[in-house]
Amino acid sequence: MSFNSELIRGIWRENPLFVIVLGTCPTLAVSTSVENGIGMGIAATFVLVCSNIVVAAVRKLVPDSVRIAVYIVIIASFVTIVDLVMSAYFRTLYNALGIFIPLIVVNCIILGRAEAFASKNSVFLSIADGIGMGLGFTLALLMIGSVRELLGNGTILGYHLLGGSYVPILVMILPPGAFLTYGTLTAVVKAVNKRI
Amino acid sequence: MKEIFRLMVVLTTVSALAGFSLAYVNEKTKEPRAYQDRMKLLGSLNTVLPPHGNQPDKDAVTIGPTTYYVSKQNGAVNGVAFETSSDKGYSGLVRVMVGIKPDGEIISIEIVEQKETPGLGSKITEGSFKDRYRGKSLQNARWKVKKDGGDFDQISGATISPRAVTGAVKAGLDAYEKNREQILGGAHVVQ
Repeated sequence: MSFNSELIRGIWRENPLFVIVLGTCPTLAVSTSVENGIGMGIAATFVLVCSNIVVAAVRKLVPDSVRIAVYIVIIASFVTIVDLVMSAYFRTLYNALGIFIPLIVVNCIILGRAEAFASKNSVFLSIADGIGMGLGFTLALLMIGSVRELLGNGTILGYHLLGGSYVPILVMILPPGAFLTYGTLTAVVKAVNKRI
Repeated sequence: MKEIFRLMVVLTTVSALAGFSLAYVNEKTKEPRAYQDRMKLLGSLNTVLPPHGNQPDKDAVTIGPTTYYVSKQNGAVNGVAFETSSDKGYSGLVRVMVGIKPDGEIISIEIVEQKETPGLGSKITEGSFKDRYRGKSLQNARWKVKKDGGDFDQISGATISPRAVTGAVKAGLDAYEKNREQILGGAHVVQ
């Protein structure tokens, strides 16, 4: 269990979206474009690393029967602090990510990692887990967002890639497109993992 | 009994610490946030109002729920901006900042907030859509989207969002028309 192996684990082999299937609600909602996916990914990664650090630091002080309540208080506080600080000092970033910040509270990945990893491991390893899971989440959002934006709008990050004659498949940026893309990509990742 | 007491102490401590740190951060960021909010307001006012020599957010008149920001050049009113909104959009509130000449003709509009479908309804934030309102007034246009028999083009694949914007702007113009005397307050007006 080294820092690096924890880091890489979250990115692919235990990818939070494609393998563990956590945090699907915000994924379906914000993966309409690459830009949204990256924004949500970065914001969630930040909160995940912070909450992992604190949860790992207090893991020996918190009695088992109230641990979930404690984790939720910690996560909700971090999300609110991030929201306030960003709106005060990083307004451009806040305008781009603002709508995703409150959504992070309900992101199961954060609570899931607090419960499954940070509550049992050292602060050092929990940081690696937070970064790895965060990057894995971001990567997955990036993949889903790319497919949906490209097929549904003909663009990637706002640049037209498929030419003017391309007729966008509107359903891809509507909610059904989220399920279609997410399901297909999960199957692809599963198939690839079986081969390796 | 002893165990329950321990749980109470832990939960109370954690909640109290969280409460204190949130209060601290809230207090520390209050001023910068107010400053950023004002900058944002001034930014959208500057995009919808003509060049002016005053501070429109200081020369403001509030009537009912709406604040009218008055821009002046050399002491004469050359524009008024106000925010209007509609809940008839596809999801959530569509908030629009409208800049008009004192006679009620639109200079330009700016979408302050919207949560419409990305790639479809969200196109109301694009320049090519907002420009459709330039030069329009209550007198020279029928304030409905084309599908409803009006003068405003909808966006292909999205009729609801443009309908919400058109409805919001019209409601705002109606309110301005009704309160024009009070807003301008007999000030000298650029013709």
